[in-house]
Amino acid sequence: MINLRVQANRFRSRALYFISPLLLLLIWAWVCRAGIFPEQILVSPAGVLETGRELWASGELPAHLHDSLLRLGWGFAMGAFLGLLFGVLMGLFKAVDRFFAPSFNAIRQVPTIAFIPMLIMIFGVEETFKIVVVAKAAFFPVTLATYDAVKGIPRTYFEVSRVYQLPTWHLITRIVLPSTTPPVLTGFRLALGRSWMVLVAAELIAADSGIGQMMEMGRQMFRIDIVLVGVLVTGLIGFVLDRGLRSVEAHLGRWKYR
Amino acid sequence: MKKIKQFIFRLTHLNGLWLPIAVALLWETMSRQGDAYAYTFVSLSQIAHGFAELVSSGELLVNLAATLQTTVIGLLIGGIAGLLVGGLMAVSPTADKLIGPLYHTIRQVPLLGLIPLIALWFGNGLSSKILIVSLAAFYPIVLNTFEGMRGVEKKYIEVSSVLKLNRLQLFLKVLLPAAMPSILTGVSHALAFAWISTVGTELLFSTGPGLGGLMQIAQEASRMDIVIIGVASIGLTGLLMNAGLSRLSQYLLRWRSVR
Repeated sequence: MINLRVQANRFRSRALYFISPLLLLLIWAWVCRAGIFPEQILVSPAGVLETGRELWASGELPAHLHDSLLRLGWGFAMGAFLGLLFGVLMGLFKAVDRFFAPSFNAIRQVPTIAFIPMLIMIFGVEETFKIVVVAKAAFFPVTLATYDAVKGIPRTYFEVSRVYQLPTWHLITRIVLPSTTPPVLTGFRLALGRSWMVLVAAELIAADSGIGQMMEMGRQMFRIDIVLVGVLVTGLIGFVLDRGLRSVEAHLGRWKYR
Repeated sequence: MKKIKQFIFRLTHLNGLWLPIAVALLWETMSRQGDAYAYTFVSLSQIAHGFAELVSSGELLVNLAATLQTTVIGLLIGGIAGLLVGGLMAVSPTADKLIGPLYHTIRQVPLLGLIPLIALWFGNGLSSKILIVSLAAFYPIVLNTFEGMRGVEKKYIEVSSVLKLNRLQLFLKVLLPAAMPSILTGVSHALAFAWISTVGTELLFSTGPGLGGLMQIAQEASRMDIVIIGVASIGLTGLLMNAGLSRLSQYLLRWRSVR
């Protein structure tokens, strides 16, 4: 009985969660039905869905998605790997820290987007430029999170490892890695979100394929439905990436709350 | 002996300077390798020359002022709206349940990804830029206002009910000051996001004055010197604004007995 009531309550709060998005959808559909705005300004939800299905069936949307995600994957992998390496080195060795920190902090102040014109001039508008932009966007948050995490390992852990005469390999796998994993993953999540946004912006500015380019093309052809499909897809991908890393975080960080 | 030690000490403190100096030297040598290199690696003297040109023609100042203006207007609009919405969500559970999901859904879309949509609806002008920048400022302030007010200690609210404060008084005299540290954190995030998205919108719309537009035009004219000056001014201005804001929040939070 009590269980039932708890379940009913849970259901109600879950249901409440969907009220406002549904309401927005209904108002949107109603405004279109009433014909308040012309077709070029607002397309009905059903129309957007239809365009989305067409784009998917024609293979256009999958191709754009493939290109965008490939760029994101390569760029993020490179940026995050270099960030991890650099963060660990700066965190462990004072000399490296002193040598690089001022330049690192100075460059960190400049938003990645501001580098886009410069990177276009250096690398052209081809794939290299997009991957470099994504890598740059990923590098800084990951480096910072790794650096802070390594600096945050309590000195006593190192002392204990020395007392037990742990080999360096074990020091890394049993102490450094587990104690830095949660903050580094948070850094990864931040970095992935930023990389995605910067990639979409870069594709809006200069690209011949990708979700951003699809939206830009839709804008130039006054196809608001294509633009809306693009907005929904970018939002969905951002959401999935964020949620995915959050669940990885919860999974790998579960020892923390035991 | 002591002097040598002092000298070494001073050298280690200058460690951070070696890298920029090395990069600058490398850059300068690259710029002298021929015309193909001089296209991207403009010489340092050329950068200085470009800087003098931009300053004396007033171009730098005009564009910087325009970018700052967009940022500040967006920050004000987004900040005030964010404060109101975040406060409303914190005070009323119904508002939280209605607005919260919508807020979290819309926030998923990368802000600059909204630009094509907003360009179609509102055109390429200043109002579109301000809308994007306001949204950039709005998101973090809603979140931090909400969390700051939710985190207010229960006993303060109990005292206010003992004193029979009405809702407005509760909001202005208890919740707002207590949430101030969190709100100011939100403002500093909002400032950073507003600054980034101002530059982003200027690059993407490339109409009207602004540092982003200046860089876009310079890139099309292959003027690397101007692009570099643009990057440096964006970084420096962001840094200065950030420093100013943290000074301001220190002043506003001087009543706190932390450290």
